[in-house]
This record gives sequence, C-alpha cells and structure tokens, in this order.
Amino acid sequence: MTRSLLALSLVLGLSGPAWAQALKIGVINSMSGPEAPIGENLTNGIKLAEEDLKKQGLQVQIVWEDDTGVPKIAMSAMEKLATREGVTGIVGPYTSACANAVSKLAERYKVPLLVPAAAKEEITRQGLKYVFRMNAPADVYASVLVDAALTMGKPKTVAFIYENTDFGNSTSKTAKEYVAKKGIQVVADESYSKGAQDYRSTLTVIKSKNPDLVFLVSYVADAILLMRQSKEVGLKPQAFLGGGAGYTTAQFAAEKAVSNFVFSCTQWTDDVSWPGAKEFGARYKAKFGKEPTYHAACAYASMMVMADAAKTAKGDKDRTQAALKAGKWNGIMGEVKFEDYAGFNNQNNHTMLVQQLFDGKYETVFPAKFATKKPVFPFPGWK
Amino acid sequence: MDVFLQSLISGILLGGVYALIGTGLTLIFGVMRIINFAHGDIQMVGMYLTYLLFVHLGIDPFVSVLITFPAMFLFGGLLQRVFINRVLDALPQNQILLTIGLGLVMSNTAMLIFTSDYKILTTSYSSGSLKLGGISISQPMAISFLITVAITAALWWFLKKTDTGQAIRATAQDRDAARLMGINVRRMSILAFGLGSALVATAGALISPTYYIYPQVGSAFTLKAFVITVLGGMGSIVGAALGGVLIGIAESLGGAYISAGWKDVVVFAIFLLVLLVKPSGLLGKSAA
Repeated sequence: MTRSLLALSLVLGLSGPAWAQALKIGVINSMSGPEAPIGENLTNGIKLAEEDLKKQGLQVQIVWEDDTGVPKIAMSAMEKLATREGVTGIVGPYTSACANAVSKLAERYKVPLLVPAAAKEEITRQGLKYVFRMNAPADVYASVLVDAALTMGKPKTVAFIYENTDFGNSTSKTAKEYVAKKGIQVVADESYSKGAQDYRSTLTVIKSKNPDLVFLVSYVADAILLMRQSKEVGLKPQAFLGGGAGYTTAQFAAEKAVSNFVFSCTQWTDDVSWPGAKEFGARYKAKFGKEPTYHAACAYASMMVMADAAKTAKGDKDRTQAALKAGKWNGIMGEVKFEDYAGFNNQNNHTMLVQQLFDGKYETVFPAKFATKKPVFPFPGWK
Repeated sequence: MDVFLQSLISGILLGGVYALIGTGLTLIFGVMRIINFAHGDIQMVGMYLTYLLFVHLGIDPFVSVLITFPAMFLFGGLLQRVFINRVLDALPQNQILLTIGLGLVMSNTAMLIFTSDYKILTTSYSSGSLKLGGISISQPMAISFLITVAITAALWWFLKKTDTGQAIRATAQDRDAARLMGINVRRMSILAFGLGSALVATAGALISPTYYIYPQVGSAFTLKAFVITVLGGMGSIVGAALGGVLIGIAESLGGAYISAGWKDVVVFAIFLLVLLVKPSGLLGKSAA
C-alpha cells in the first residue's frame, strides 16, 4: 500500500514524503558473486540493525540491492535507489571498487552514502560532500601492523604480496610508503591476480630474499592458499602481517596448521570494550550461528548511524547529509564522528586493532589498552 | 637456480591438471564440433561432489575419483542425451547459448544448495611437501599429477585400441562417413560428452585438496580450458595435454620472473604468438 502510494506520488510528481512514516534507506552490497561470503556478514549486520531500529520504534524500510561485486552493477543499483526508489541515504557498497565507482554518483544525485567497510583511501579523498565512511581506510591497515612489528622487534626488511585489485593495491601502496618512512627496506613487491592456484613460484622468490616481515593483502580463500603454500616452500619471516579481509575470518582461523601466530588488523572484535560490542557478538552468534566479522559490526553501526541521521532530518536527503556531518555517535564501533583530516573528508577516524592467532583463536595484542594477550614474536616456525 | 627449478616443477604439476581439463573439452569439441561453455561448471559439480564425499563420508579426495569419474560420466551422458543432442544440427550461436545456459543453471543451483561460501578441504597433506635439495614438491599436487598421467594414458589407450574408441575417433573425423559405416553417432556423442565431463570433473576432484570451491569457480576454468584447447589444436587430445602443461609452466615461470599479477599476460602472449604462427594450434590440423 505504502509502495503504491509512493509510486503514485512519484507519478504525480509530488515531492516531499512528509506523509510517509517509514524512512527509506538503500543498501548496496555484494550478496552474490565471489565477494558474497564476506558480503553476507554485512547483510546480517544490517538485519540486526533493522531489528534494533524496529525496537526503537523507528520505521525504516530497507531497499536491498545486490551489486554482485561488479562496479558497473553497483552503479546501476545506485541510480535505481536514487531515482526510482528515492531513498534518503544509502549504506554500502562492500568492495572498494564498487564503493569508489558509486561515490561520484552519490554526489551527483545528492544522496548521502555511508560506506561501511571499503578500504580504498580515495573514496573519502575526492572532496565529496555526500560520501561518508565508517571504517578506517587502507593506510591505517598498514600503519597499525607495521607499528606493532616495530614495537615488538627491529625488522629491517619486508616483502609484500597482495592481490592486484583496488583493495590490494591501495593497501600495499600506503604500506610501502609507511615502511619507507620507518626505514624498513622493501625486498620484494609481488602482486597476483586473485583466483590463481599456484603461488609457489612467487613465494620461492620471496623466500630467497629472506625478509624479516611478510606483508600480505588478500581476501579469504587466497589467504588460506598463500599460507599453505608458504608453509610448503618453508617461508619463515619474523612475522606474517595479514592486511585485513582474508586474514581476519573465522574460516582462516580454523586452518590452524597454517594460521597460527599470523598477525592481522581489524576494525572490530567482540572482546573490545566499545559499548555493546560483546552483546552484538553474542546476538549475532545466536541468530546466524557463526562469529561476526568486523564487516558485520561496521555495517550494523553504519545502518544505525544512517537511520539516526535520517530520522533527525525527517527523511530529507540534504538535511541527512548535514546531520551525518554534525553528529556524534557512540556504539559498538566506539566513537563515530565524520571529520575532515589529512586529506580525508567525512571520514570516521576509527582506531584499528592488531590481533594474533593462537590455535585458531583471535586475541587482540595491540593497542595495549585493548590487549587480551601478549604477542608471540618472532614467528617460532612451522609445526 | 632453485627459483627456476621450483617454478618449473610447480608449473608441470599444475599443468597436469590443466591438461585433463583441456582434454575433456577437446574430446567434446572433436566429436560434436560444439564448444562446451558449461565445461568449468561441470568441473565445479565434480568439486562439490568431492567435497560432499569428503565431509560426509570421509572419503579421501584422491580416492573419491573412483566415484566421481563414473558419476560424472553418467551426468555428462545425461546432459548430452537430454539437451545437447537436440541442438547438434542447430546454429552455432544456439549451441553456445544452450551450454552457457546449462552452466548458469549448474552454478546457480550450487549457490542455492551450498550458498556462495568458499569451501576449503583440509586434508592431512594439504600443505605437505617433499623436500628435494632446495626445492619443495607439493605432496597433493604430486599425487594428482600421477593420477592425471594414469588417466591420460588410459584414455589414449581407449581411443586408440578399443573398437568403441575408434568409433569415437571416426565420428570426430567425419560424422557423416561414420554414420554411413554403421556407427551410432548419437551414442558416440553421449559417450564423448560423458567422458569429457568425467575428465574435467576428475580434474576438479584432484585440485580440491589444494584449491577452494565456490559456485562460480567454473568460469575461470572454462576460459582456461578454451585457451588450452585452442593452443593445442581444437580436437587434438595430445595437443590439449601439451597445451595444458605448457600453460602451467608459462604461468609458473611468469609468476616467478615477471610478476604473479602478470602471469595471465604471459599466458595470453604465448597463446597469441602460437596462433599467429600456427593458426590451427600446436597440433591442430588445418580446417578442412
């Protein structure tokens, strides 16, 4: 009924959903395709947010769009949400490539876009007014890991291996700039196209350079493959640093034979002392039967923040933008505030956590105030 | 030197599986002149079958080939009998549409049943390796290579020495003449498609312990199978085997000496060069 009324009002060219109670918020996410395993976490996080908003008595109608991980499809989803659906704001897309492609469209249609978990720095570096980001961008992925390694020891050399996608390139690029600043020498710099079966030749080249640190950036399946083959060829640095995504999943942790003592950084864990984080973890596990990843928490927090801003603005897009810019929230992602700093616009300056795997379990090891366990360094070798 | 030998050996081992994938496609093309765009998806079905057998019945992926091969032979034969046989005389674009459509149905059905989560098989030897001097040989890949060699040899024997094998080859050479000689070409087509499916599904089973499984995994392999087959010469079994190993080596050496991100470029550069010099592929006969 609401929908047909809305359609009618659109046909008649009536503006202002002043009569409509439900806030309409769009979601663009990778719900099918190769990114879907991680996309599912975002979907679940948003579903929990939907429940909580309902509990608060806030009527939110979520319009779901699947980008299948393809930027072109994300763009048409964005156009559909902005023009046909007339949403107040959009949460998503998941991947960096899709989020980056969509960001300029958000600006053109003047629809506030809150990117929950994409790492590519450029997304919030284009001076766009309508594009906001919840998670810490790629440069932080690198800097927290390198800082952690420098606190634990004196690494002199580092090898990079990363997938040649927006996410991999941008994370490793900033990592390379950061290690250069810290005086660590890059001895190998290898990008790979994801989905390959055999990384042994590349890993052998890296092993021959004998690096102190190995910095890896990949999504989930390649992460397991890379570590298996590292073990096979006997690569043994002082530490494996996993830059996000693939190295922070339950599936990776479960591969105990190869995942033990790998460092990774994450936007969120459920043992951190941010308000509601523990409860969110427990609820998520009860409802979906698996551990939430940081993506789920980012997406949950993004939807809560977007809905709150839309509520303040009474469903007006421009006022929602202003509300996001001015507002301040505190929740499972800690304090959220969209600021302009260091070339970023509307970027939440989020604190990232460094964790290490102990026999299939992630333990936070840095920063010290959130640490649950002492790190093991250097890497003691393969079992 | 270690880097070179390591890459070469990895490449050859990987190439063995590629050879199996390419052989399946070339066999189907040879007999029916149909390019099977569902090839990778049939491989995906084989991989999930291996996964199910491993997780639920505890059957080792390499042992499960004994089940996967006949099961996928029947599956392929059924596809041929129910669908492909009907379009044998249709326009090529209709044949392409049909095989692409079948592939889509398979991958989306897999997504419905298994969701799009990556499945990884963890066997005791998944990251095992044998050390030879400074070189490590992946245990699962070495086993899979041996199985590949055995299957390829058996296939070669079947096609060369048995009556049915000769009938399949006759059908591949000239369908009408074969029919005139009293060969049941429809039956040969079913056999060929069944065999092709069984081969590619076996390849899927063999890489399962070292790779990962998801519903869309097939598309990358369809493309690879196509490159291998064209490189070796469409319809040539030995050519496909050679093409597979060649591409495995090219990928591996390209990954070591240029960059892992550029290894596909190396493969396609070799592919284009071969086609420039020999348009019918390495061992292909020029088109009649």
